[in-house]
Amino acid sequence: MKRALVLLLAALAPAALAFTEAETRAIAAHGPWPPAFAPDPSNRASGNNDAIELGERLFFERRLSANGEHSCSRCHLPERNWTDGEARALGLERVERNTPSLNNVRLQRWFGWDGAHDSLWAQSIRPLLDARELGMSAAQVAALVRADADLSCRYRRVFGSVPAADEELLVGVGKALAAFQETLVSGRTAFDDFRDALVKGDAAGIAAYPQAAKRGLGIFAGKGSCNACHLGPAFTNGEFHDTGIPFFIEQGRVDPGRHAGIQKLRASPFNLLGLYNDDAKRSTATGTRHVRLEHRNFGEFRTPSLRNLALSAPYMHNGRLATLRDVVNHYSTISPDRLHADGEAILRPLQLSERGTLDLVAFLETLADGGGRYARRPFAEDCR
Amino acid sequence: MEERPAVVRATALILGLAAPAALACELSGGPVEKLQSAAYTILYRAAPALRVGEHFALELAVCPAPEELRVDAWMPDHRHGMNYRPSLQALGSGRYRAEGLLFHMPGRWEFLFELRAPGGSERFAHAVRVE
Repeated sequence: MKRALVLLLAALAPAALAFTEAETRAIAAHGPWPPAFAPDPSNRASGNNDAIELGERLFFERRLSANGEHSCSRCHLPERNWTDGEARALGLERVERNTPSLNNVRLQRWFGWDGAHDSLWAQSIRPLLDARELGMSAAQVAALVRADADLSCRYRRVFGSVPAADEELLVGVGKALAAFQETLVSGRTAFDDFRDALVKGDAAGIAAYPQAAKRGLGIFAGKGSCNACHLGPAFTNGEFHDTGIPFFIEQGRVDPGRHAGIQKLRASPFNLLGLYNDDAKRSTATGTRHVRLEHRNFGEFRTPSLRNLALSAPYMHNGRLATLRDVVNHYSTISPDRLHADGEAILRPLQLSERGTLDLVAFLETLADGGGRYARRPFAEDCR
Repeated sequence: MEERPAVVRATALILGLAAPAALACELSGGPVEKLQSAAYTILYRAAPALRVGEHFALELAVCPAPEELRVDAWMPDHRHGMNYRPSLQALGSGRYRAEGLLFHMPGRWEFLFELRAPGGSERFAHAVRVE
């Protein structure tokens, strides 16, 4: 069947480009999309409609910041693909890293550019407590929820009661925020239509995909081997790599990336080995239990999803690259000498021509859904 | 009637001295990969089946049972290992379960099995391809 698909593509040339059998399998592996929802066993509020509604309120709640002016949505703007368009995020202060999009965040294994958290709910707590982002304490978050009749009512509706312990209440806030973010899934794209047509052998569907994007996909899944890391339906392996982006922040300061992230993960009271994992069997904690800290992790950052990439500029962990073309140029001219990967031999310069560069950009642009899918739900009447 | 137990005992003694590993080296539950040297046999299978980006465990039988077994994997072409350090549970009689493995990139990986015993150590490498 797969061989037949390859032959079909070959027969359509030059209207359609031929992919090798291996490339066809690789392209098929980037779907189907969207993926089915699977609740997070570590979060008993996952998939719960009341939790989603509470989480949505909390996400836009400005009282969850030390100055009462910011919320999660300060950096994660729905109209900007859940990011902010800034090179480096600005909360109460400017931080070192680019704001990642929240689209498809529930599919991740690790959270944050350094993977310092192993669940979406633990990651959702981090910016609340970071002095440079929202600058709250567990006690302040707990006091807000307890004092607000609507929030505390909704909290009880999801979790049964409002805990006396501040930290436990904070974890519930994180879990409700996670339940809301789990609903943020990017839509189908021109690439998805092409991929499905390819799998079905639908010649018209295959022909409808732009030629430049097909050529770019050929680079992506062929000589570029971009899918070695950007794999699967979400176009990411969920792991960490040094991609040659300088990790100097300023004179005398560096961002150690994954190396520090693993240490933060292990020290966190909110990791999946801790008290607050609702998965009694701890099957969700396999990665946390076994993650390996090595020198090569220094300067590694999480492989981002490529879905809706065109809506997520600027790029890389510190927003250093302004456009998709800059990103492609980076990989086209990357010097292995600039990597700090202890002898790893993954990246080599793609040495793309001008047309190859444009083709790869054209392909990446077909991974975007056009945006504008989120509509904030009108809040129901106050909970009593 | 009196001869019979003696034969059985003798047979058991011969097996006990010469080839207990060969007879005992089985891993029930389905197809296995088999690695062999003059001194050792290793049988293993991945559970669940290998898929890039997903955690899996290895069920192992090593015959004869070594004093120590280490399990790891790496990608020779990329010159990097896994991002996870497997944990190994000895189940007795040369049976083991290694947990926490994950191949985070597609391509050729090699499982590495290191067997240590008073007489010296032996290392096995076995290549697999994941997509």
